[in-house]
Amino acid sequence: MTGAVVARTERRWWLRSNASLAGVLVLIGAVSLVGATVSDRFLSVGNFLNVFEQTTDLALVSIGQTLTILSGGIDLSVGSLISLTSCLTSGLINNDPNRVIAVVIGVLALGTLVGFVNAGLVVALRVHPLIVTLGMGAVLQGATLLYALGPVGRVPRGFNFLAYGRIYGLPLGATIAVLLCLLIALLLRYLPLGRQIYALGDDANAARLVGLRRTRILMLVYGCSGFCCAATGLYLAARFGVGQPYTGVNYTLASITPVVLGGTLLSGGKGGVSGTLLGAFLIALLNNLLNFMDVSKHYQLVAQAVIIMLAVSVYVERRRTV
Amino acid sequence: MSERLTTSAELPRAIAASWSLLRLLGRFGMILILPVLLGLGGLLSPAFLGASNLSNLLLQFAPLAIVAMGQAFVMIVRGLDLSVASMMATAAVIATSLSGSAGGIAAVFAATLAVAVAIGVLNGLLVTKRQVSPFLATLATMILLQGFRFAYTQGAPSGNVPPLLRLLGAGRFHGIPYDALVLLALAAGLAVLLHRSAFGRRIFIVGGNPMTARLFGIRSDLVMIGCYVISACLAATAGLILSGYVGLVDNWVGQGYELDSIVACVIGQVSLQGGRGSILGALAGSAMIVIIANEVLLLGLPIQVQMIIKGTAIVIAAALYARRQIGLDD
Repeated sequence: MTGAVVARTERRWWLRSNASLAGVLVLIGAVSLVGATVSDRFLSVGNFLNVFEQTTDLALVSIGQTLTILSGGIDLSVGSLISLTSCLTSGLINNDPNRVIAVVIGVLALGTLVGFVNAGLVVALRVHPLIVTLGMGAVLQGATLLYALGPVGRVPRGFNFLAYGRIYGLPLGATIAVLLCLLIALLLRYLPLGRQIYALGDDANAARLVGLRRTRILMLVYGCSGFCCAATGLYLAARFGVGQPYTGVNYTLASITPVVLGGTLLSGGKGGVSGTLLGAFLIALLNNLLNFMDVSKHYQLVAQAVIIMLAVSVYVERRRTV
Repeated sequence: MSERLTTSAELPRAIAASWSLLRLLGRFGMILILPVLLGLGGLLSPAFLGASNLSNLLLQFAPLAIVAMGQAFVMIVRGLDLSVASMMATAAVIATSLSGSAGGIAAVFAATLAVAVAIGVLNGLLVTKRQVSPFLATLATMILLQGFRFAYTQGAPSGNVPPLLRLLGAGRFHGIPYDALVLLALAAGLAVLLHRSAFGRRIFIVGGNPMTARLFGIRSDLVMIGCYVISACLAATAGLILSGYVGLVDNWVGQGYELDSIVACVIGQVSLQGGRGSILGALAGSAMIVIIANEVLLLGLPIQVQMIIKGTAIVIAAALYARRQIGLDD
């Protein structure tokens, strides 16, 4: 009998701690239901794989953004870093298949390095990450425009496999995003450094008193975010076939929405990457639905805003009652 | 007996006096750097301190400063307002689309004011009644306004900027831009409201410690909603002025002002954690941003370099002035 009680409380505990995750799933279900009434093609496997494919870019950035927000910070340099890395990718490869591997590695390393610099500045200057990354964003955008004022270079034909390729029917880019998400989720759960991210985000002062090394944690967090941005930059270069200096502009603020939709607290310390992935999927699904309904791009923005407002208002109510 | 009373009364005051110079410097340090920046600008390029350039500086300073003052109100009650830039563009679109109508300029002001108040109230309600994080609530209203704006203009706004706004945005009165005069009047009024009125005192209490505010019987929700309304109205004003300055309207008037105004406030020692800040700080922070941008331009550097220098300067300025308030003294 006690076993049953324990099981029930455990189940309830799971529901409570994953309330926001359940929230996104409910919203995804609701959007799917509406979609099913709009068109019978909406609920097909093919369409869902399409949506999955369209989630890739947002999912990649937001996974990195989740870590910075969990640690109590934020990364506002993502947009510029994406622009820079996508320009560098196509500009440096410049249609030469032999350079692909070197450039991909170099770009990923550059993204990570930028993240390290962000973390280093936050620690060394003791300035809020919001300001540091905002400044970094301006610097990177300037650097991008110094490198190229318009679309630059070209990627070889095979490179767009990253964006359009399918392996066993699964879109390659999106699958990579999911694997990355899984990796980071495991890291957050099982590595001490992962747990420390939560501790730091929950209470920076307590984390300091316990003796956690803020520098090391922030290096990991912002490094990951930079890496994810570089991956997004690669993906976008593959998708468009060319790098554009303003391609990342909208991702700066857009990357935050899936994080919060997925139930991660903006103040840090609570949440996770799986929610973010679902949040990104929800946004792509919503846009897909609105396309099916022939809603103009303009009203898609309105719908997106309303969904954000609804979702976050509902979560808070739940959080308050817990 | 009476002597003891005076000493005990004098003692804390003496301590306070010895600290006050440092505190004053800490408080007004960001204003001291302005003359330095101006002098540096004069050294780097002689044209910088010329009357026409200073007048230009004032002209560009006003819209950012107006937005930053509103941002300061919101930041003091522990908020952020990302919807200001979208509000600015919306005000500009309203101005041009209504300028030909019967009501003329009065209709423009009325419609703009109505939209601004509605947006401010929406932001405030989301933040207070639904406890949505300000970042997200204002992000959502930003997207909402953008969506409506694009739907309304079909992506290509048309119409002319009303002459009065042109005068306000680009006109000069004996060399002094009209928008600077508007700014001066607004700044004086808002400074009194924030620093000398009961409402202003409540703003600081709500921002400093919501629990205390509740125990005092302050209706925090109303105070916070008020701050968001003030911010939206100021953003709308800045949008009208900026559309007059630019002389034409597109869907992106004011783009970048949301982040610039936050940076201006942070440089001006408005705390990101709430509870601290001043109108003077917001003004000084805005001035610094405008001066740096102007200096880079006068040096004839390409726009890309300007972005790089601006980004660096923001971080350095924040490192110099803003770290105390973050409270990470390790």
